[in-house]
Amino acid sequence: MSIGREQVLHVATLAEIGVDEADLPRLVEQLNRIVSYVEQLDQVSDAPAEPFLAGPAATLLREDVVAPARLSRAPAELAPEFRDGFFLVPRHGAMDEG
Amino acid sequence: MTSVPIHAEVSRREPAGTVARELARRLQSAEPLNATLHWSQSALDAEAARIATLDPASPLYAMPLALKDNLVTTEEPTTCGSRILEGYVSPFTGTAVGRLRDAGALVACKANMDEFAMGSSTEHSAYGRVKHPLDPDRVPGGSSGGSAALVAAGVVPAALGSETGGSVRQPASFCGVVGVKPSYGRVSRYGLVAFGSSLDCISVFGRTVDDAARVLSVMSGLDPLDATTVDRPAMAVPSPLRDLRGLTVGLPTEYFPADLHPGVRAGLDRTIAAARELGAEIREVSLPYSRYAVPTYYIIAPAEAAANLARYDGVRYGPRRVGSEGDIRSLYRATRGAGFGAEVRRRILVGTYVLSAGYYDAYYRKAQAVRALIAQDFQRALGPGGVDLLLTPTTPTPAFKAGEKTEDPVAMYLADIFVCAISLAGLPAMSLPVGRDQGLPIGAQIIAPEFEEGRMLAAAGALERVLGAAEEVR
Repeated sequence: MSIGREQVLHVATLAEIGVDEADLPRLVEQLNRIVSYVEQLDQVSDAPAEPFLAGPAATLLREDVVAPARLSRAPAELAPEFRDGFFLVPRHGAMDEG
Repeated sequence: MTSVPIHAEVSRREPAGTVARELARRLQSAEPLNATLHWSQSALDAEAARIATLDPASPLYAMPLALKDNLVTTEEPTTCGSRILEGYVSPFTGTAVGRLRDAGALVACKANMDEFAMGSSTEHSAYGRVKHPLDPDRVPGGSSGGSAALVAAGVVPAALGSETGGSVRQPASFCGVVGVKPSYGRVSRYGLVAFGSSLDCISVFGRTVDDAARVLSVMSGLDPLDATTVDRPAMAVPSPLRDLRGLTVGLPTEYFPADLHPGVRAGLDRTIAAARELGAEIREVSLPYSRYAVPTYYIIAPAEAAANLARYDGVRYGPRRVGSEGDIRSLYRATRGAGFGAEVRRRILVGTYVLSAGYYDAYYRKAQAVRALIAQDFQRALGPGGVDLLLTPTTPTPAFKAGEKTEDPVAMYLADIFVCAISLAGLPAMSLPVGRDQGLPIGAQIIAPEFEEGRMLAAAGALERVLGAAEEVR
């Protein structure tokens, strides 16, 4: 299946990744190369006896206890903008409508 | 650059301060390799002071250890080789690194890597490529190429890397050092920056099998902070076997293609002959679905990466870029578009594509089914009536030239053709140096059943002794 320029832009929108116009032709070519390569899995028609999951057979969950996170730095030191316990971001465009 | 490693036994006799000073000299002289991202004399001195308070009988007392830069620590930045985490310092230290430090390991540096561990050559670091210690025009392999190069150059006796699809075994083979990937679930992933969560394993490089085994032993075991660790005792350090009598070693025919590089084939022939001389029974086996491992991996790993890397958005940590439209989505796109390098962007886009509406069944669900078939092949080969261990080449060629595969992502992906399947199956495996071809190291891969790392390392110890591999790297 071939991926076109519009589809790459759509996927980039879903992934929230800005793509420069100049990079687009090469990106379209490389994604097509990768996707056509992985499509060889179409040759496999067998179905596995059961699904596979590596690791423990059952997930061990620890007790759900509310406790302070043991962090050596507060979020205010890590975040680009932080005030009064909140991470600050620009407005979402949708909020301006209506 | 010195060729004499600071071995653990030497470290144990030296005051930690002496080790730290010698380490600083070695790190300085290794700078041309571009294998480190962060180290400082003050951090080494602080490590030496910390170790001076520990019991000298601690299992890794004053053993210098390099950490791949996707293992978080509170003392040094953790960038994952990416601009999107430039200057980031974690507010916590991961479980494996914490256990190693408690056991006396001296953290030497953070090592360069392919950005977010995506790559097979360490050419995809935002901070420049790592050079192969034996030939600066070649790559050390990847994505843990910085860690591999530092061990191969004799800067540290051991280093941590991480594997998602072969990122320790492949560079270990290229650089001529030991590289061990444990079973999935053997070592806690808490504090390893996530790439493909169903595949990621903290793994270890050593100049010898014993060094790698001792590091793995300390960091293994159940961790309440990682629900995918298994409830088993920590791995015991095995003694190398005197011989391989009673062991059956399988050679999967699919891993010995007719066009295998002659130098790699010669290295494997030597290893098979050594195993036979040590008394192992050698038997051919078949793993027919392994031929689909690379395409399966390049659906599952990007899909998981697309989800895991969604957190890098310029909101909670890391540098931020404000987009031209000034709203939040524009901020996301500008931050992520500029912060991620080309290979990471490609993989996120592929991962998003295979998970998107209309394509999920055709790609992601299909890949999950093939992953199960690949794992079943190994369960059959290594199960009742099967063999005890598998032996294959680690890589199809010795270390390749820098720039040789950067233009064709699929050509780069195929460098992992012999290591990927084992990651998908969650099994332990390792690369053992078994000689050189025209000066470049060759690695043999040993694969064991789930949680049989001890059997694998004990057999590797016997082969290491007979092949003189440990002598060669010194």
